Amino acid sequence: MNNPIFAIVMLFSAFLVYPEMAHAYVDPGSGSVIVTTILGLVAAIGYTIRKYFYRIRRFFKKSDKSEHEPDES
Amino acid sequence: MKAELVAESGSFRDPSGRVYELGGRIIRGIDGATAEDFEKLSREKFFIRGMEKGGIIPSTQIVSEEFSGEDFSGNVSWAGFLEHEKIPFISYPYEWSFSMLRDAALLQLGILEDAFNAGWMMKDATPYNIQWRGAKPVFIDTPSFLPRMKGEQWVSYRQFCMLFLTPLMLKGYLDINHTDILRANLDGLTPPEAACYFRGLSRFRRGVLSHIFFPATVERSIAKRERDAVPVQKRKGVIQSDAMVLGLIQQMKRLVTSINRPIGHTDWSKYELTHSYEDMDFKEKEAFVNVHSGSRHRSMVWDIGCNTGHFSKIVAKFSETVIAIDGDHDAVEQLYLRESAQENSNILPLNLNLANLSPAQGWAGSERKAFDKRGRPELVLCLALIHHMRISANIPCALFLDWLSSLKSEAIIEFVDRSDEMVIKLLANKKEQYDDYSLEIFERQVRERFEVIASQDLKGGKRRIYMLRPK
Repeated sequence: MNNPIFAIVMLFSAFLVYPEMAHAYVDPGSGSVIVTTILGLVAAIGYTIRKYFYRIRRFFKKSDKSEHEPDES
Repeated sequence: MKAELVAESGSFRDPSGRVYELGGRIIRGIDGATAEDFEKLSREKFFIRGMEKGGIIPSTQIVSEEFSGEDFSGNVSWAGFLEHEKIPFISYPYEWSFSMLRDAALLQLGILEDAFNAGWMMKDATPYNIQWRGAKPVFIDTPSFLPRMKGEQWVSYRQFCMLFLTPLMLKGYLDINHTDILRANLDGLTPPEAACYFRGLSRFRRGVLSHIFFPATVERSIAKRERDAVPVQKRKGVIQSDAMVLGLIQQMKRLVTSINRPIGHTDWSKYELTHSYEDMDFKEKEAFVNVHSGSRHRSMVWDIGCNTGHFSKIVAKFSETVIAIDGDHDAVEQLYLRESAQENSNILPLNLNLANLSPAQGWAGSERKAFDKRGRPELVLCLALIHHMRISANIPCALFLDWLSSLKSEAIIEFVDRSDEMVIKLLANKKEQYDDYSLEIFERQVRERFEVIASQDLKGGKRRIYMLRPK
């Protein structure tokens, strides 16, 4: 993750965490929704910035189409 | 006579289908929903392109009255059937080098991204769904594709992290063997378990905080809150935009690509420069292997103790598939990088401890097969290996030869005598001097188990190479 604010949040999370093992009934994997939502939000910001960056760059350098442009969907 | 359908022992986890072998053909029974999905999938450009480029296993829907509706998997009758191209040799991620696992991860992510852009999602992300044709990875689990529901998250994100990302980070960042971790944990490492490995500054390596420590924090807090609660809180899926899911997949691709691990100078990673042969002697050994492996075309050859694969390359000319095995990770890594750069390599490099080959494991001890039960080689190369088995691994030559003869294959084996400088080096600081290790005893043990077709002295008699046929 290259976003500095997000890295700071993660940094504090890192100091709070300690390992916990097998949970008989609770499915800790169900927290994936939370994880992918937060990571997804940050990733979406990066994705959108890159998308517009490449669009703007393409506008100025029409003949030089970048291979790294994220897919638009 | 009707061929018998044999259920593949590792294919039971997904209730939507089951894989069978039918007289050498690979057949997958699928339920009605999966059959419908496959019909749509088989018209998708990304899927057709994936099959053409080799990243997705060629699969076709078949209609066969022979087994349609038959009850051959417990109580399930399948609604449809697919036929897949057969993979020459099944391998497992705990046998792959770092770059193999990384290339498999990138294939998985590439297919997922293409599928997502076409409106599909993949319900799992496990390296067991990837196999190898030579040194090229291929995705084999077509029922993994599902039409994406609106706002659906990357459902297999956690599994991807547990089975691909964390092992890659452990090897790439900490030089901890990912093969040992994956062999012991068939479902991979959970984020809280993975967090135990990262201490001090290693926590700040790229992706560790976000993909290991953050999920570990969330999981720990859920476990703490809900451990004694009945019923547990139902977590409804949050609507996730395309940009969120695609952004996360693309970010993961960049992260996986960025994890690198340079090849070190290990005992075997520079074999071609450091072997103890003079040029002429080495050429004689090459000629012996060339003549006897080239005597006829073989479907499968194993090169056990392959180092960087010099002799695998020779036998590959006369074989459909060569399985090149070595315990030295960096030697296998080097072989893989060389072979994967070629268009049509038929060599599959695998990283296995030769004194402790992969066992049968998983559910009922049969979900993942033992290495030597996944196919029968027609020829086995054991070049300059026996002294390591006897002196380094303490395995008596007779036991090694028993195992070799149990394969019922021809073998080319090289004996390294006590006068050879490499054996002298091995014995130099050992109290045990292995008095049973001699050419005379070895040759007698060989003749008890094999027919010797040819043999030749190498290095002025310090070594001897044999072509053997099973009795």
